[in-house]
Amino acid sequence: MQVAYYPGCTIKVSAQHHERAALAVLRALNIELCELPEWNCCGVLHSLTDDNLIRHMAPIRMFARLEEQGAHEMTTLCDMCFNTLAQANTWAKERPERIRAINSTSGGELDYDGRAQILHLLQLLRDRVGLAAIKARVRRPLRGLTIYPYYGCKLLRPSEVAMDDPETPRVLHDLMLALGATVAEGPLQTQCCGSYHVVDREQLVTNRVAATTDEARERGAEALVLSCPLCHYNFDSFQGSNHAALPIFYYTQLMGIAFGLEPEELGLDAHRVALLPVLLEHELVPEGVQVN
Amino acid sequence: MELIDGYPAAMRESIALVEQTRPTRLGRTFPAMTPEQRRELLLGHHPDYKDGAKRPLLFGPNKGMLLNHELADLFEARPLVSASLDLNDVDSDVDLLIIGGGGAGTVAAIWAVQAGLDPSRVLIATKLRHGDSNSTMAQGGIQSADRPHDSPAQHFLDAMGGGHFTNRPELVEALVSDAPLIIHWHEQLGVMYDKDEQGNFVMHPGGGTSRNRMHSARDYTGLEIMRVLRDEARNLHIPVVEFSPAIELLCDERGHVAGAVLVNLETKRYHIVRAKATIVTTGGLGRLHMQQYPTTNHYGATADGLILAYRAGAELVDLDAIQYHPTGAAFPAQMAGLLITEKVRGMGAQPVNCKGEQFVYPLEPRDVEASAFIRECSLGLGIPTPHGIQGVWLDAPMVDIIHGPGTIRSALPAMFRMYTRFGIDMTRDPILVFPTLHYQNGGIITNPDGATTVPGLYAAGEVMGGVHGKNRLMGNSLLDFNVFGRRAGIAAANYVREQAQPTRLSLEHVATYERHMRDAGIKTTRTAPRILPDYRGKEALERYLDIPL
Amino acid sequence: MSEQTGMITMQLMGKNYQVPTGLTIMAAIEYAGYKLVRGAGCRGGFCGACPTLYRRSDNHRIFTALACQTLVEDGMCLVQMPFVPVVSRRYDLHQIAAKPNTLLQHFPEIAGCVACNTCTRACPQGLQVMDYVQASLRGDIERAAMLSFDCIACGICSSRCPADIKHYAVGLLARRLYGKYVTPDSPQLAARVAELQTGNLIADLNALMALSQEELRARYEQRTFETSEENKEPFSAIQHYNSPMDPVDYKDEIEV
Repeated sequence: MQVAYYPGCTIKVSAQHHERAALAVLRALNIELCELPEWNCCGVLHSLTDDNLIRHMAPIRMFARLEEQGAHEMTTLCDMCFNTLAQANTWAKERPERIRAINSTSGGELDYDGRAQILHLLQLLRDRVGLAAIKARVRRPLRGLTIYPYYGCKLLRPSEVAMDDPETPRVLHDLMLALGATVAEGPLQTQCCGSYHVVDREQLVTNRVAATTDEARERGAEALVLSCPLCHYNFDSFQGSNHAALPIFYYTQLMGIAFGLEPEELGLDAHRVALLPVLLEHELVPEGVQVN
Repeated sequence: MELIDGYPAAMRESIALVEQTRPTRLGRTFPAMTPEQRRELLLGHHPDYKDGAKRPLLFGPNKGMLLNHELADLFEARPLVSASLDLNDVDSDVDLLIIGGGGAGTVAAIWAVQAGLDPSRVLIATKLRHGDSNSTMAQGGIQSADRPHDSPAQHFLDAMGGGHFTNRPELVEALVSDAPLIIHWHEQLGVMYDKDEQGNFVMHPGGGTSRNRMHSARDYTGLEIMRVLRDEARNLHIPVVEFSPAIELLCDERGHVAGAVLVNLETKRYHIVRAKATIVTTGGLGRLHMQQYPTTNHYGATADGLILAYRAGAELVDLDAIQYHPTGAAFPAQMAGLLITEKVRGMGAQPVNCKGEQFVYPLEPRDVEASAFIRECSLGLGIPTPHGIQGVWLDAPMVDIIHGPGTIRSALPAMFRMYTRFGIDMTRDPILVFPTLHYQNGGIITNPDGATTVPGLYAAGEVMGGVHGKNRLMGNSLLDFNVFGRRAGIAAANYVREQAQPTRLSLEHVATYERHMRDAGIKTTRTAPRILPDYRGKEALERYLDIPL
Repeated sequence: MSEQTGMITMQLMGKNYQVPTGLTIMAAIEYAGYKLVRGAGCRGGFCGACPTLYRRSDNHRIFTALACQTLVEDGMCLVQMPFVPVVSRRYDLHQIAAKPNTLLQHFPEIAGCVACNTCTRACPQGLQVMDYVQASLRGDIERAAMLSFDCIACGICSSRCPADIKHYAVGLLARRLYGKYVTPDSPQLAARVAELQTGNLIADLNALMALSQEELRARYEQRTFETSEENKEPFSAIQHYNSPMDPVDYKDEIEV
């Protein structure tokens, strides 16, 4: 009997006697090991490692660049960036040798000391500015408008990087109340929208978007507010045609409306589902406003 | 040798004097010369007028023309292939052959295709890589009279006067009247000229120009134009064969040019190209190092096109006049001869002597400015360097003082980068300069459409002569290769349409040339074209064996 | 080989040569007896024909240089790269628009950038190469154009990139898009081009051409010069060079 044989490096270097014995035993059993003509290391160093440094160069580089500016805190609007940067930072900070390894992999180019952190803009608003200050800035409260806050994943999962309670988040809820709106809530607020499956499993995204918007509508919401651009894309593009589509706002747009800023400044035109009708209905923008 | 921020102590003493006089020199520019003063200076100090540096051409249509010995040697040289070379097996059969892949050749190819030639029937053959050329190295800018208080007529006057009225007026007319069209074409191709927010060009003055009409792209103007042109040619699918210089033109039985013999520099195999028309765009001759001057030129600038065209019977003009750029780098030794763009003076840097005194208007025409530098050094007022040559200071820090901190870094990044590499900070210290061999003012005679005196042969760019007369102004060479590359490309495309493919290829004109040379009493084993200069160390060559491998 | 003062040893393609100190790598190669065909171009830092890889004895990393712009060092072990193949899709600039995704569409591989910054470390021009790739990825054509402007297309970046990005081709398209579509066309030039078609300017030229040389000389001597005072706006590097960034040691600014 013949069997193809993958030896591996250790057998060939420090356990040659094991191979000799094995070959002898198998010969006695009339078994021939046929060594593969070309073989490579099984890849143990890279395959089983959980600290593939190159994957973390991009996010950690941004923290190092931040520190080069003499600062230790930066903010971002994008949930995905927030999540990636926060996860990489958490991973690196867990063990100081990881930071040392990344700095050294960069050839001395990076000198990250592990003190930096990323804040989502919602964190900045909640923890640094404070909802009271935001409330004080409101000129045109969103009175009468019922809004369903949608959180999705990237603000909340994994829990190590969550910027709010992963089970019962409140940040959008509190912000909407501060703006004078009514809030409608439900269990699907934190369900994933389908994310990048939009590329290859559109139906999955359509189903999830439908379930969430149905819930919102059932609970009286006239609009949905969210923070993540990818969630926004999915919700704005895949609501289907069974119901009148819900308008999908970024929280910043609603803040702008409540602050009484010019609608032209708020990018209200860049949506598939029109935003103006619901705002006009509640007299939150002047009659006859054009958003182009 | 101990260096203090890039300079030896002896040079630092002179720099201290330059710094002392700087505040009083700011805003006080040395007056320009009168025509008489200029003439006297040129005759006394310009290398073109140096006794014993030249000899007359002894045969051919330009018999009697005075040439520097280094150039005359190439005309008095034997061909690299014999007239009996087997020409029967044609490797490339095309409508249009362009010899030289620099600016002029690339522009010609693009416009020949625009004029209707099938790109696959065009071939660019070039000595090194496509784009390796003096065009790429031009830094300062390109002239064009665009603004309301400027005009092509004003540009014409400047160019004629700069050339001491030896220019061929019909060529200058073509140059100045096409200039705005060329810049407009570049805009459409996406050349990133320096502009303000409204799209107006940032204009600088240049030596000998009466209006600020220099368009630039930082100090990488030639590079920026060349890389866009190369990309355009590539996108038009125009074939280019690199490392394949032409070593002889081919003629048909009527004596019309009908292609060329190329040689693959790596395999040394020859390659026959048959073409209905041929454009020579081989550039200049700085690498001949006339009178031992260093040069700003590209490695391949060895006058090949002049030799080939003269052998085929083309007439030449103004090759007695070579342009020495006033500001070649003189220190450190590794930079000797490299171009310091005229834009540095255009932006306010003054030339000063070892005592820190101005001695010349910073923007005289190039030949005058260069002669003034040479005179200053011969009067003992230059600054000696450890490697034996002298130079004068160019007070570069004035640029930042006049225009604001950061100007040198953003407007002259190539200069700043180059000096930084060799340990000198030109925002703080002056830089040492001396004239360097820069440009072939003359060349092959053409009409305004690039046609030479030989049917089927066109020329454009530095290899052609007449447009600049005996002295070119800054910013007219980038313009020249665009204007005449375009005109030659279009004219050759039109000529091609009326021609049948040449039937018999011949090198008889080369045999005739050799006969003329013998009749003139010239016996030599020298060969031409030169193709590349030889910089191998003499210690290595002393033990060189020329063995077959 | 005997030790001489002022001489150093460099290893060129595996062989040791003694060369004088103070030579550029290119001059040292020629001093050693090589006649360069590939590996030399403008000899002045503009053409990118002489990309060189080398190692030093005291460091495990690969260093990069332009041979014409870098001094030879003792113990340097070097090789010149003849060129780096960059084959990219053809385009007609007149048919494409400067949209945020234009660069990504033409060079989808830029999405594979892991921000390792090897390209930036390898750039002999000291450009922030990775930053212009990242700017291209996010559709910031202007920034990609500005950061890549001083590129001489030596190709070292592309030879070192783990994502096989064709950096210099990306930068070139970014600059052409910026030059053609983002910066406004010059209104004065457009007016002059239109004016040329009327023939008035050519008539002025013809009048000059009809003059005798003496008359022409006289006209030349009578020229008035544009003085710098006529430039009403004082020259400002920041205003005129499109961007305030320093092309040589530019560091990203982060709002904090």
